[in-house]
Amino acid sequence: MNNNWLIKKKEGLYCIPGDFYIDPIYPVNSALITHSHTDHARPGNRKILGTPDTINIMKLRYGENYCQYSQKIELGNVLRIKGVNIKFIPAGHILGSSQIYLEYKGEIIIVSGDYKRRKDLTCDLFEVNKCHTFITEATFGLPIFSHPDDINETSKLIKSINNNSNYCHLIGVYALGKCQRLITLLRKLGFNDVIYLHRALMKISDYYIDRKINLGELRNISELKTTDYLNKLVLCPPSSLSDRWSQRFRKVIKGFVSGWMGIKQRIKQKNIQLPIVISDHADWNEILTTIEEISPEKVLVTHGREEGLLSYLKEKKITCSGLNLIGFEDEDD
Amino acid sequence: MKMIKLSKLLDDLLLNPSKKKKIKILVDYFNSIETTEKELALSIFSKNFSTKLIKANDIKIMIKRKISEELFSYSYDYVGDLAETFSLLWPKRKEKKSISFLNFMNSVAKYDNKKSLINFLEKTFDNISSNEIYVIIKILTGGLRVGVSDGILKECLTKQGVRNKFEIEEYWHAFSPSFNNFFNWLNGAELPDNINKKELFHSFMLSDTLDESQIIKLNIKDYLCEFKWDGIRAQIVVSNSGRIYSRNGEDITNSFPELNIKSNKVSVIDGELVVKKNGKILSFNDLQKRIGRKKVSSKIIDQYPIHFVAYDILFMNDSDCRNLNLSTRKKKLESLLKILNVSNISLSPIINFNSWNDLKNLRSKSLNNHIEGIMLKKKNSLYLRGRPKGSWYKWKRNPFFIDFIIMYAQRGHGKRSSFYSDFTFGCWTDNSFKNLVPVGKAYSGFTNEELKNLDRWVRSNTLERFGPVRSVKSSLVVEIAFDNINFSTRHKSGVALRFPRFSRIRWDKPPNEVCVLNDIKKLIN
Repeated sequence: MNNNWLIKKKEGLYCIPGDFYIDPIYPVNSALITHSHTDHARPGNRKILGTPDTINIMKLRYGENYCQYSQKIELGNVLRIKGVNIKFIPAGHILGSSQIYLEYKGEIIIVSGDYKRRKDLTCDLFEVNKCHTFITEATFGLPIFSHPDDINETSKLIKSINNNSNYCHLIGVYALGKCQRLITLLRKLGFNDVIYLHRALMKISDYYIDRKINLGELRNISELKTTDYLNKLVLCPPSSLSDRWSQRFRKVIKGFVSGWMGIKQRIKQKNIQLPIVISDHADWNEILTTIEEISPEKVLVTHGREEGLLSYLKEKKITCSGLNLIGFEDEDD
Repeated sequence: MKMIKLSKLLDDLLLNPSKKKKIKILVDYFNSIETTEKELALSIFSKNFSTKLIKANDIKIMIKRKISEELFSYSYDYVGDLAETFSLLWPKRKEKKSISFLNFMNSVAKYDNKKSLINFLEKTFDNISSNEIYVIIKILTGGLRVGVSDGILKECLTKQGVRNKFEIEEYWHAFSPSFNNFFNWLNGAELPDNINKKELFHSFMLSDTLDESQIIKLNIKDYLCEFKWDGIRAQIVVSNSGRIYSRNGEDITNSFPELNIKSNKVSVIDGELVVKKNGKILSFNDLQKRIGRKKVSSKIIDQYPIHFVAYDILFMNDSDCRNLNLSTRKKKLESLLKILNVSNISLSPIINFNSWNDLKNLRSKSLNNHIEGIMLKKKNSLYLRGRPKGSWYKWKRNPFFIDFIIMYAQRGHGKRSSFYSDFTFGCWTDNSFKNLVPVGKAYSGFTNEELKNLDRWVRSNTLERFGPVRSVKSSLVVEIAFDNINFSTRHKSGVALRFPRFSRIRWDKPPNEVCVLNDIKKLIN
């Protein structure tokens, strides 16, 4: 990086004047957290700063030892740490997710965290802010990724449930964010049946309900007898789709809700019959639009398909370079 | 039928790995379309359809007019399938028309030059969905890669009419590439006049793998023994026009013109294709230079002269020999070869033996580099199609096992497209244990669980990346099994392994215990 006050260290991005890290992968003294997915929000830091939802969810997931001190900051509020002005702005990724805006001696850097530009009933819309340097994620940073409309994709699931009433629909979703977004989409389309959840999805969904997000009637799958699975919709973590737990469902249609499901060979690998392409990350066009709207002097690209995005930006004569940050899960959508 | 239906079919086939399910999907599909469409679909699925005008490279050129070379290759590397990459990258328009499969195929057939066909395709692609583009590219480039083998197709066809598996295997190539009237024949009609039944392929007799523990149950006097040649199984039809067929009934006459023997009486012999020069049979690597050619230059013929080791006879001078026993057939074969008097066909010698121990010794001494083991054939067995129990046994010699070091890893294709699953392995050049030289590539022999571990190991031990390939730390030792080893001028190491595959991953073995190149060369003969 050219600027000399935000640098890459083995723990992650480090702000020298502010003496803090952003989403560090190893425990540090002081960390700013963009959102509560486990590859960005790790336990064991001494001090953390994040939005109330991010902090609450971390506590819910990791228990009391999630850190020694936590400080909450509302989206949009400004905080000054050792001469660095800090603002958390909505990223549209999941509940509580944020971009981190840093200003030091008149120079502005925005760290995007993970983001998307589509409407999501479970979180605030991404906010465009001007800056000198924009650090963008690139999970779907190749032109092959063009996420379809989420309403259409959700209808595919409802249609399959209606057409296959003697099957159980077992759908893999990420526990935090994707699960609740899918449920709000289903409810919006008038799907009012009880939705059964794998135990691992209950805690976070209950938190969303506490936050007044309408998820309709949810039940733990353990309340259902093996003989009653047919014609039910069951959501589970993606890893459970192929483990022994899923063998209890005899007549089953397996689905997976993910941005990767737009690639046929990926669907085949996962042994999925019902791919549903809904992503909480920006697709290729959204990344490009975002960069265009912000029009920073310089773009830095972090995790994901960095090479593709960098190659395109260079072709368009946009100043850019790769950060090669490690530790962020490639497959976490 | 709309093209979109074919796209749905390909998706269904791709997402249902079980053979039974694939057959059901295909049968339902064939039942739902018109005969002309069936003929076309069959020629596509059996890889007989080709435009000849367009190659994979033309497809790449088309897309590179829309997107930079670099972005294309990153995308292709990620997706691992050309048709899918192309269809996802082609610029999208809002208005989509669905096109008819038949109309499209008829239009394509009308073009006789590349430029105008490409022009037509570009216009078509602008108006259709990416799923339809995907199907079209798959059709035009010839490889559907949805896991439909000829075996699955033949099985489906047995459910489409009144013909059995063997009839289909023997006759279907006669209808290719267009499969005109094939479905009439399948439903009981006579073979069309233009098809000469005698010149057609005849299904092979196949062998079982010998279970060593069962060997004592066999009566030694009932069997004769021959070498198992490391070549390609083939069938020579001596006839008015002369034909050579591969193991699965494909006409390969053009690749081996030296063996195209004409006579007004039909004879059919079974044997193995090998390359033989100055009285010496060369390695399988040399034979590979002769495979898959539509035309063979005289230079290649001189360099890699083909030879046929004959071991059985199906027809002799128009009379069917398949109901004679093996000993009688061997005599017939010998007399036919005398009559034909062709220098590049010889009789597969019979090995004398007195005990099973004789055979065991013969097999374990591993003979030489163009023989992969021995065959045991029951003397009174008839020539039966398929794999009749207890008639023919193959007894391959044991593979070699050697420890190597992983040097490079590459992402796989198809269902392994996100895993590093193709490995280049090597050994030390000399006793200083400083430099490695690549010896071969292996991409099988590990379990899915081991593949995940290997993939993880590659990602955390990468030194450099070259597109889809990563060089890795010289620290992981794997035991590689291979069937044979030969000198090779094509490889930097100077040796080529036959069918190398993983045997064990030796996570704990230190790399300096792996052998050096000279030790490996000593294995050759």
